[in-house]
Amino acid sequence: MGIEELKELLNKLPDAMTEPVPQRLGEDIKRQIPHRLSPHRVGMDTINIIIDLRINKLAAAAAIIITIVLCATFLGDRDSTGGGVLQDSMLLIKYWGAADAGNISAGRSKYELLLSRGEEVVWYGDWLDPKDGNAVLLQRRLADGIYEVTFVDGHEKQVDSEELIKLLARMLQKKTK
Amino acid sequence: MTVKKANLTEQDFDSAHPINKLRELNKLKENSEQTRDSLTRWLRAGEHAAATELVDIYYKQIYLFMRRLGHDRQVSEDLTQESFFNAWHHIGQLRDGKALNGWLYRIAGNVSKLYWRKHKGRKTADLEGFDVPDSTNAQLDVIERNEQLEQLKNAVARLSIKLRQTIVLHYIQQLTIAESADAAGVREGTFKSRLNRALTALRKQVT
Repeated sequence: MGIEELKELLNKLPDAMTEPVPQRLGEDIKRQIPHRLSPHRVGMDTINIIIDLRINKLAAAAAIIITIVLCATFLGDRDSTGGGVLQDSMLLIKYWGAADAGNISAGRSKYELLLSRGEEVVWYGDWLDPKDGNAVLLQRRLADGIYEVTFVDGHEKQVDSEELIKLLARMLQKKTK
Repeated sequence: MTVKKANLTEQDFDSAHPINKLRELNKLKENSEQTRDSLTRWLRAGEHAAATELVDIYYKQIYLFMRRLGHDRQVSEDLTQESFFNAWHHIGQLRDGKALNGWLYRIAGNVSKLYWRKHKGRKTADLEGFDVPDSTNAQLDVIERNEQLEQLKNAVARLSIKLRQTIVLHYIQQLTIAESADAAGVREGTFKSRLNRALTALRKQVT
């Protein structure tokens, strides 16, 4: 058999090698999705785990630093861990500083995905105050008069058009002040 | 001049016209690339909804990938779940939208490879969806073609795991050479050379 004829035959294999896929499989996989997904970075993962346990960020940071310092003291090797303490402290500072920007960036990705799916979404992230956790980042129209709004701090709420106008007006007032 | 204008208008409104079909395909391709890009960014931001979206898009593909690699139904279901489970823990390795296919198939390929390593003596399982048409109704060349397809399917199943994966990724899952190479965890050159070896082996077995 010639190579072209073989390639042509191979291109027909996807239809020949198929079968129905169990529907419940997708649901089973979805049930196993962790509550919080995060890129694998050891320092950040530790902080996120503690935050997931509903502990205050400051308390989490203090717990990590105290643990590291205690370990360093216990092992009696201050010099080799001194750099590590500094690095972790820098990481925490960076984490706090970048939290607002991170929320807006995550919101932006969500907005783009919804937009690409043809949903009616409006983006406010370009002009809001990132430090105002109650500022509306984006709105999505769900049904007639019902909207889902996502705030800067990541929480979502379903509101009617009247409440949406109130939220936007409040945001605008804060901005003009 | 009027005729030209009339033709153009006809072409513009005729969705079956090859140029318009090509435009539609390009538009679809751009949209799917955009969707993959935003999905990747959303995943990297750690959004739960993005993970749900990823499952919706890929779980059937990954299940069939496992079946085509020769795992039976139950094992394929287990390995598909394991692949996604591993994916949630390796989101940090996901670079951009273009790498999404390669990343997920690489994880799935590794899960399958580990399974074969643990169960060395296990035989490959066949898919049940392929029916050869009844010879009384079908024409002779169609029958011949189906026999060739059946031969080819068996020949793919007899290939070594590495070569089988090469054929499955590129021809059956229809990934590009770059995506397939990424999924197999090798350079493009190495992947092309494997593909050539696989094709040579298949040519010898299919008449």
